[in-house]
Amino acid sequence: MRIMRVLAFFASAWLVATSALAQGISNLPREETIIIENPQGTITNPPWFNIWMVARGGNSNGLQQLGMDTLWYIDPDAGIDGVWDNSLAADKPQYNADFTEMTVKLRDGIHWSDGVEFTADDVVFTVQTQMKNPGMIWGPVFLASVDTVTAPDKRTVVFKLKRPNSRFHATFTVRWNAAWIMPKHVFEKVEDPTKFDFNPPVTIGPYKLHSFDPNGKWYIWEKREDWQRTSLARHGEPGPKYAAYIDPGPPDKRVILQLNHQLDIIHDTSPEGVFTLIKQSPTSQGWFKGFPYAHPDPTLPAVMFNHQVEPFQNADVRWALALLIDIKAVSMASYRGAATISAIGVPPTGLFGEYYFDPLEQWLTDFEIDTGKQKYKPYDPTVGQQIAEMLRPSMDEQIPTDPKEIANAIGRGWWKPNPEAATQLLERAGFTKQGDQWMKPDGTPFSITLLVEGDQRPVMTRAGTMIVQQWRQFGIDAKTQAYPSDFFPRVESGDFEAAIAWSVETWGGHPDLSFFLDSWHSEFLKPRGERQPPRNRQRWTHPELDKIIEETRTIDFDDPKVKELGQEYIKLAVREMPIIPLMSYNVFTMMDTTYWTGYPSADDPYTNPVSNWANTKYMFVRLKPANAQ
Amino acid sequence: MLKTVRDLFRYNLEFALGAILILIVFSFAAASFFSPYPPMDSYVVAPDVPPSWAYPFGTNSRGQDVFWQLTLAIRNSLLFGLSVALMSRILSLLIGLVAGYAGGITDRILMTINDTFVVIPLFPILVLFFFMMRDNMSWPMLAIAMASLGWPYDARLIRSVALSLRTREFTAMSVFSGMSTRQILVEEHLPYVLPIVFSTTLNNMNWSIGLEVTLSVIGFTNIETPTIGTMIYWANQHTAMVAGVWWWIFFPVVLVIMTFLGLYLLSVSMNEYIDPRSRLTRMGGQG
Amino acid sequence: MRTYALYLVRRFAQFILVVFIGINIAYLITHLTPVDPVEQAISSVTMFGQSSPEMVEVMRKTLRELYGLEGSAWEQYVTFWRRMATGDFGPSLSAFPTPVSTLIWQALPWTLGLLVCSTLIAWIVGNFLGGLAGYYRKNSLLKALGILAMSLQPIPYYIVAFILLVVFGFLWPVLPISGGAEMNIDRQGFAFAGSIIKHSILPALSLVLVGLGAWFIGMRSLVSNIVTEDYVTYAELGGVDRRRILFSYVMRNALSPQLTGLALSLGAIFNGAIITEFVFGYPGMGTLLVRAVNAGDYSLVLGITSVSIIAVASAILVIDIIYPLLDPRVARS
Repeated sequence: MRIMRVLAFFASAWLVATSALAQGISNLPREETIIIENPQGTITNPPWFNIWMVARGGNSNGLQQLGMDTLWYIDPDAGIDGVWDNSLAADKPQYNADFTEMTVKLRDGIHWSDGVEFTADDVVFTVQTQMKNPGMIWGPVFLASVDTVTAPDKRTVVFKLKRPNSRFHATFTVRWNAAWIMPKHVFEKVEDPTKFDFNPPVTIGPYKLHSFDPNGKWYIWEKREDWQRTSLARHGEPGPKYAAYIDPGPPDKRVILQLNHQLDIIHDTSPEGVFTLIKQSPTSQGWFKGFPYAHPDPTLPAVMFNHQVEPFQNADVRWALALLIDIKAVSMASYRGAATISAIGVPPTGLFGEYYFDPLEQWLTDFEIDTGKQKYKPYDPTVGQQIAEMLRPSMDEQIPTDPKEIANAIGRGWWKPNPEAATQLLERAGFTKQGDQWMKPDGTPFSITLLVEGDQRPVMTRAGTMIVQQWRQFGIDAKTQAYPSDFFPRVESGDFEAAIAWSVETWGGHPDLSFFLDSWHSEFLKPRGERQPPRNRQRWTHPELDKIIEETRTIDFDDPKVKELGQEYIKLAVREMPIIPLMSYNVFTMMDTTYWTGYPSADDPYTNPVSNWANTKYMFVRLKPANAQ
Repeated sequence: MLKTVRDLFRYNLEFALGAILILIVFSFAAASFFSPYPPMDSYVVAPDVPPSWAYPFGTNSRGQDVFWQLTLAIRNSLLFGLSVALMSRILSLLIGLVAGYAGGITDRILMTINDTFVVIPLFPILVLFFFMMRDNMSWPMLAIAMASLGWPYDARLIRSVALSLRTREFTAMSVFSGMSTRQILVEEHLPYVLPIVFSTTLNNMNWSIGLEVTLSVIGFTNIETPTIGTMIYWANQHTAMVAGVWWWIFFPVVLVIMTFLGLYLLSVSMNEYIDPRSRLTRMGGQG
Repeated sequence: MRTYALYLVRRFAQFILVVFIGINIAYLITHLTPVDPVEQAISSVTMFGQSSPEMVEVMRKTLRELYGLEGSAWEQYVTFWRRMATGDFGPSLSAFPTPVSTLIWQALPWTLGLLVCSTLIAWIVGNFLGGLAGYYRKNSLLKALGILAMSLQPIPYYIVAFILLVVFGFLWPVLPISGGAEMNIDRQGFAFAGSIIKHSILPALSLVLVGLGAWFIGMRSLVSNIVTEDYVTYAELGGVDRRRILFSYVMRNALSPQLTGLALSLGAIFNGAIITEFVFGYPGMGTLLVRAVNAGDYSLVLGITSVSIIAVASAILVIDIIYPLLDPRVARS
């Protein structure tokens, strides 16, 4: 027994002695390192850095944020120097009059991490290589639009397009990602660029690869000594010397790691986890100082119907289902109230409040539904206020009081639940109620299976179960079906009735809607049973919508008419209710100020902190060591 | 029969304890029929209330009363475990007894099939099954899938017993007296292997309920049906452990432990009862 | 001796047959999945970033060709076995063109290290304590241990692991809770070994705690059956040292079924410990398998399941070959 005691003593002494080390990253100084969650988790193919090829290497493991660069960036929030940033390009894209030619001027003095200068040849090579290899990610896009690409001189690239396209530059404009520029001098020596792992990567961003885990759990990037020769240097010097992108595990573990100050930025966790952090960790902060803490990403989760399935082609049915949803309960069930709700077909994020929500508020309030038996104004502009009041007793001073703040943080209005109007709409569509159960016009029970993503997207799953419950209470045989992992391929194959998913994604900072709306044109519609290309996952078409899209294609990206056409789309989508908009995709990004300060926030919205966005590179120049102050 | 039970209660502490535990668990499960709330509905009570007189097991972050949710969950899990056990017992008995009795080429074919099932890894099969079933995934389907995978170990065990029974004299006697194979297997051999069947039932239930929890934790079951697994799944989705809602996890775990402890004590005491030698030592001198 | 040789040949033929059928079933099932690796690849591209409807068709076609998914089902089946015959699992579809074997080799050492150690520890401790509990049936400490082992066993493994994580990683943060070793550590020398050991303590402890009970209970009931056999009674009456009776007479006889169980558990570790890896972020085959199944990467799923099938079948084969040598009664029958 004595020997056991001695052993136990040594064991515990060793543990205590070495656990001090566990705070740092082995031999890297913790105060010069920022540790960030990589939401891709463990990378299946760790040594793969060829970001132009799908091979399950990481892309949000720091590679696209710190290693890559391309012509332009659009910020989902206000931007570090305005929403638009000319990154590798020296200026905005120049189109000719009929949008068949785009000319790009490039910056001077940008160098790859191996010292080679970046020139127009790299851009030309990027396009031509991928056109030759359509298995590469942007190859098919270039093949569809580019006729020829040339470099008249070192700093100029000219794209001749196959047909007029006023949005061609979007391919090179970062919203989350974009077509990254390849280093010609590396890839031209490679026999088959689709089978080249690009390890270690030659970067054009301000960091280079330091080391990575062969099992794909962490990647460490080191600030380039010549960071001044990258495009980001215009905004200052990046703060952290090292950046580690790690797989921190399931949501509860991320909370524990941040409480232990071992994870500076949590990409996303559960609302309950955030409340724990706010309560227990004075150094943790979110995007909003108070409720709802989360960053609203410019993505619009919605109840998506499959318009090729009976009876969802009928706008009356879709509106009836919308009028059965109590968004307050959905907001509570999904986000514990920390949602930013939206009644219309664009997310209430970034600068969209002033672009779309405020101008349309009056129109929405006056909007009428005619059920055949009554005329009814469904919009309730006070829902956001009501949610704030509902939360105030338990959340107290964390809930904003200023109506403008509430509108931005919790949302504006939504549709008032109205079972009576829903009944009238369903009856007009030929539905009947027998006992407690609604019957379809053909006499079979009205059942809906709502597809959700399960543990891949917990808050959305929670929203789905609440919506289904509300439908069930009205007498519709509704249930959710969790289908993790293969969710979006399944939705795109059309094998669903309704789903909690999204098909609306916007730039956030820029009012142009073509990012998602262009793909909603009826020319891309596939018959049932065939795969629908993204993003018209609901397979909705409308002659008026086609007209809006076609007109958008002929006007410039920055034309003031963009906003008008956008508003027309929103009005059409309100009348037709092709999808039931719910809220913005609020991401619970939590930032720990123990080692670093200067994170973006709603008060200083210079960029998106959600760490898998390539746009987060702008955050690095504002990050300062906490002990320096 | 009644006298036996009374004797067991009086002289066998394990039996008494086990019986009480199982009785508690079963009456708990039976209480689910009196639940005041629709089983799938959430936000019917205030969320995150710690255990109190109004809510003895507290309420969870989905606004459900943990007590009533648990009654339903334990009922479904028990039913699930029992049906997997029942179905897989039938399979293993059939294959084990036939292989052991018939021997020769039949035995070799059956044992090759048996070994094939032993070597095929369960997990990828069950997850792929989930993808294949899509919207039809329900717990009866999962039970059938798991039952058809959960028999081979025990079939091998039963076969080894049957193998030894075949060489016993009474088997030869039965053959001479003109009994059919079916009669020999059912009337003569079955009683000998029944104790093994009972003890493997317990392990099988533990295995199937445990696997159901595993599949639930990573999200490959029907999450709408309350079971012990889906309760943990939902607790996990709400990060109950770090949010301090411990009662959402604690009570289900206690109930699961009670179930298996009860079943275990029962099976131990029954085995002892069946085996007369240990019964004598117990009721005799030291009793 | 000749009968034993004949037995060996027959047993080996059965081994080959079992492996062949097993892999074929795995092939069939993995190819029945509706999850399509090409669609998964496309969706990983179109999920967040840029996509235009025109690109999807072209990409789908190109990737199909690249991954070698063109050709009839029969041709693919033949290609599969031709590769298998040379021990090649082909390229992974979700990590194309990385070979499946590279991915497996990357994960395997972690799984082997963690699971072999914890399985052995659980087996040794469980059997030792179970044997004691079966022999000294009146000892109240051992009885309490029995109840404890029995109560630990049915706790869902996920809960056990998570409680350990919260206790030693948060309430009293002395042990690392993530990964297989410290980040960025020099991958050689004592520091690396020490880091690996430290990172494996919690995962291993959770596996041992949960695995212990079954061995304990099995051994206890085996021993308590043997204890009532005549030869044990005679030995006791003859005044043989009780410790010697327990270890040399009783436990030794009870060991053979437990050895079978051990061999099977060791064979089954090639699937990895999925929940352990999930909770502790431990690298290994489990994560690889889950990712492969989710991505519809049947090359990788088949690679892992084939390794597992061969391992379990070999374990059974080894037991069956050794048994007759240990216990001549079996050989004769």
